[in-house]
Amino acid sequence: MAQRLKEVDVVVIGVGMVGSIVAKELAAAGYKVVGLERGQTRFTVPEFQSPAVHDELRFDIRKALMQDNTREPVTFRNQGAQVALPVRRWESFLPGTGLGGSMVHWNGQTYRFQATDFQLATRTRERYGKNFLDPDVTIQDWGVTYDDLEPHYDRFEYLLGTSGKAGNIKGRIQAGGDPHESPRSRDYPTPPQKEHFQGAMFRKAAGSLGYHPFPQPSSNLSQPYTNPEGVKLNACVFCGFCERYACEHYAKSVPQTVILPVLLANPNFELRTGCQVQRINLDSTKKHATGVTYIDAVGRVFEQPASLVITSTFAINNIRMLLLSGIGKPYDPATGHGVVGRNYAYQTMSTVASFFDEDVIVNPFMASGASGTLINDFAGDNFDHSGLGFIGGAFIGAVNTNGRPIQYHPVPPGTPAWGKGWKQAVVKHYNHTVMFSCHGSSVSQRQNYCDLDPTYRDAWGQPVLRITFDFPPNDIKMAAYVTAKAVEIGKAMGAKQVVGSPRKGPYTVTQYQTTHNTGGTVMGDDPKTSVVNRYLQSWDVPNVFVIGASNYPQNASWNPTGTLGALTYWAIDALKNKYLKSPGRLVSA
Amino acid sequence: MNAPAPPFARFAFSFLLIAALPCALAASATPAAAATPAAKPAAATPAASAAAAAAAPPCEACHGAHGEGMAAAHVPRIAGQSADYLKKQLDDYAAGTRDNPIMANFAKALSQQQRAKFAARYAAMSARYIPQVKPPIAVHLARGHQLAFQGDEAKRVQACNACHGPDGVGVPHAAPYLAGQSAEFLASALKAFKDGTRKNDAGELMRSVAERLDDADIAAVTGYFASVDLSTH
Amino acid sequence: MDKVTRRSFVTTVGAATVAPAAALLPLTAAAAVSPAKTANIAEPPKTTYLYFNTAEVLFIEAACERLIPADESGPGALGAGVPNYLDKQLGGAWGAGERLYRSGPWQPGTPSQGYQLPFTPAELFHASLRAINRDLDAHGTPFHGMSPEAQDAYLKSLESGAHDLDGVPSGVFFDMLLKMSIEGFFSDPVYGGNRNMVAWRMIGFPGAYADYFEAIDRHGVKFEREPMSLAEDGHGHIHVRQDIPANL
Repeated sequence: MAQRLKEVDVVVIGVGMVGSIVAKELAAAGYKVVGLERGQTRFTVPEFQSPAVHDELRFDIRKALMQDNTREPVTFRNQGAQVALPVRRWESFLPGTGLGGSMVHWNGQTYRFQATDFQLATRTRERYGKNFLDPDVTIQDWGVTYDDLEPHYDRFEYLLGTSGKAGNIKGRIQAGGDPHESPRSRDYPTPPQKEHFQGAMFRKAAGSLGYHPFPQPSSNLSQPYTNPEGVKLNACVFCGFCERYACEHYAKSVPQTVILPVLLANPNFELRTGCQVQRINLDSTKKHATGVTYIDAVGRVFEQPASLVITSTFAINNIRMLLLSGIGKPYDPATGHGVVGRNYAYQTMSTVASFFDEDVIVNPFMASGASGTLINDFAGDNFDHSGLGFIGGAFIGAVNTNGRPIQYHPVPPGTPAWGKGWKQAVVKHYNHTVMFSCHGSSVSQRQNYCDLDPTYRDAWGQPVLRITFDFPPNDIKMAAYVTAKAVEIGKAMGAKQVVGSPRKGPYTVTQYQTTHNTGGTVMGDDPKTSVVNRYLQSWDVPNVFVIGASNYPQNASWNPTGTLGALTYWAIDALKNKYLKSPGRLVSA
Repeated sequence: MNAPAPPFARFAFSFLLIAALPCALAASATPAAAATPAAKPAAATPAASAAAAAAAPPCEACHGAHGEGMAAAHVPRIAGQSADYLKKQLDDYAAGTRDNPIMANFAKALSQQQRAKFAARYAAMSARYIPQVKPPIAVHLARGHQLAFQGDEAKRVQACNACHGPDGVGVPHAAPYLAGQSAEFLASALKAFKDGTRKNDAGELMRSVAERLDDADIAAVTGYFASVDLSTH
Repeated sequence: MDKVTRRSFVTTVGAATVAPAAALLPLTAAAAVSPAKTANIAEPPKTTYLYFNTAEVLFIEAACERLIPADESGPGALGAGVPNYLDKQLGGAWGAGERLYRSGPWQPGTPSQGYQLPFTPAELFHASLRAINRDLDAHGTPFHGMSPEAQDAYLKSLESGAHDLDGVPSGVFFDMLLKMSIEGFFSDPVYGGNRNMVAWRMIGFPGAYADYFEAIDRHGVKFEREPMSLAEDGHGHIHVRQDIPANL
């Protein structure tokens, strides 16, 4: 029997970066906000301190900071005709948990999408014609434009203190930045991080081929910085333990280092940890949320009534929350009807390894999570796709983040997997190899979606999320094309041997690629093809807002986090200035 | 000269041995030094200067016969200190990036190679552990130990050992040792980082920490590191 | 290049080998002591096995040494203590199924779907080793009695999935053995492998203390520093966790 608690104004499900920002803004505006986080509190001291945190086995291999898959897994299959089975160990993607969420262990790579990305369907039709795409591809326009989001990108970057060099300020191209970027109103809050040797080699080679290299925008800061919230960060020391780890130096922009000190000091906000939200509760009309039901760490069931519910869990968990709550019509790939779970996408990752002689000393272990130099010449729609048979592209860069040896010990093809030959190759190549990443876009297609699994349940007895996904042929073609371009850059670096590994299907959950799961609660202008409107408000239940990369109709060539921060501030703007002043549908259906 | 000379300068002047240095230094000695009973100026030929320089470095006068330093005068122990840290300090003194008129004079008189030589010489030295005249009380030691190993979230300060190594033993190419260093020197260094009179820390990494410590924290953490005796097991 | 050791600044008294810290009493003295750091260790460490029985030890020690052999670049799996690492992981929470979703129903699945067996790592290793030893005993030479070439051939046959090991496809067992051997070779020595950081020294990985703010500017310059374990104290003694495993 659920114990009913005193009503509050707002419940925020998931106190990661999105939840922290939303809660801070609404609490500061005078609303009573409860934040429900399934994991525990953790702070830079003591939980993130080194040397203990610089433990590759514990954090990289054993996934210490990740969602507990023994209690809350997902199931997966490539095709609808297969039986989905549990992901029994995380590998391909690594959802986080705990106060601060996945952005505690992120790499700090902070990008904006380009203007074209937000009208991808329209632009593709205009530029390449109606019949250019595979018929299965279901890309859409977002319902917002880059110009709508620009001030919110700016606000998020200044919250984080992101270190970078602008390429386009109000239409004026800036030397040293990315000339392809859409215009920004001002430069980054801090200058770029130092370039590592690999980045410098890449910059010369890419420049020699006529491309436009620029420093990767990094939320591992280049210098001390006090953000507009009054919270101060330090300079990053390039320790090489960034992704999957937490930062001991207050130098990575994570909720604890950018906003939690302000949020937690506000008495309008109450944080409850160890609380597993089971569902958002609806009234008998099913068009109004009354609050949420959660189970705490002791196993007690609570009902928390609220006027407004924000679901800001990790992307795939947002999808599951709506499905478990009966909000929105679940997508059925057989009929094409329904929207929740539709347009699930990912990231199409390829690599290039450039092997050098032993006189070239790379020192891969000296890096931040967002070190490096890259080009956008083959990303997005920055190049003419006529005749190529695919849309999308990848950023290509020498953006290696580490030299942690259990996972990083590159060897050329043909090297045995073990034995003397393997060991000799590891010694020969460890400090003399440059890795490129080709970080590719991911179109949505009819067959890729999420729903609730019919067989497997979590530790609370609820169905787990089922992911049905394989790489669309469009993206395989894109990967082959961009990888070939990247190989040319490797050769221009003067490497002895350059090996491209373009992404090939089928998609496997056994190999890490990224944690850039997108889609499933797509935003848009049309309730038949979207779950939330342009303000991230549920079409079906107006007092529920869904904020996450789950809103993306498809994924672009860059990491999703920067855009998620922009959408968060965009939605907060709508909440504070429109919805909370006059609750109701913000967009007529 | 932007800042008042540090306290130890008063002691240093009376011990100054100018004879061992090349001519250039004697010629550019500070006004105060000229008032001390100076030794004979250095010989005129380069060979004699070099021989004199190699024979008896003036460092000993303040830093001790074994590089153990002089705690009361805030002169640091430099025996066994990281060679590239010592070299960088000499370079910074010479360039004025680290402000100290006494050390600036010495450093400017040395070539790059000579600075490297002195740095290597002291890096190779060993000196016995010198206990503090007034050891810290237990509660201060505990607080210092906490700052060293863990840090302090309320003050947003990370563990000193993260950069300075296990037990503050130092990490080559990254951070100097703190273990066994005099508390007086460490405190004056932290205060100089905090008030901006010392600014040669790359990335403002030390200023970022020092500005968040109050006097009690500084006393605790410096007293703690001065108490770390790594000469016994 | 700064090759001076960090501890030269304080006069040391006594011999090169030192006793471990009293706080962590080892089960076997030899295994816990970290003697003076030398690049090549002639004598493999004495390991107290808590998970592997004698017959399993004979296979594991020989097999790991074929996977990562000693050679001119340095010690192999044995010298690095990889069997000890495996023993402590399999005998601890990891072996018992930490971080493994263990509910049924079970189906083999496609390669994209990854590991789908009900076995915990501890169960899988015991089952596989039992089957291997039984199979080899029945057909002649035990693994540790074979020539290196024959051992490699047998390992390759396991790798290719040619054997069913009492329900465990041999390729699954082999992949886990190889993966864990690499972990045992390259992980922090606190976990009982990578003894005295021989593997890190071999490739030039500096380890757990990692401030490169100034060094990162020296493009193309070799980084000369002894590797450092997260578990070493100011004397360079690594306090190995005999009770392992990696706690989460």
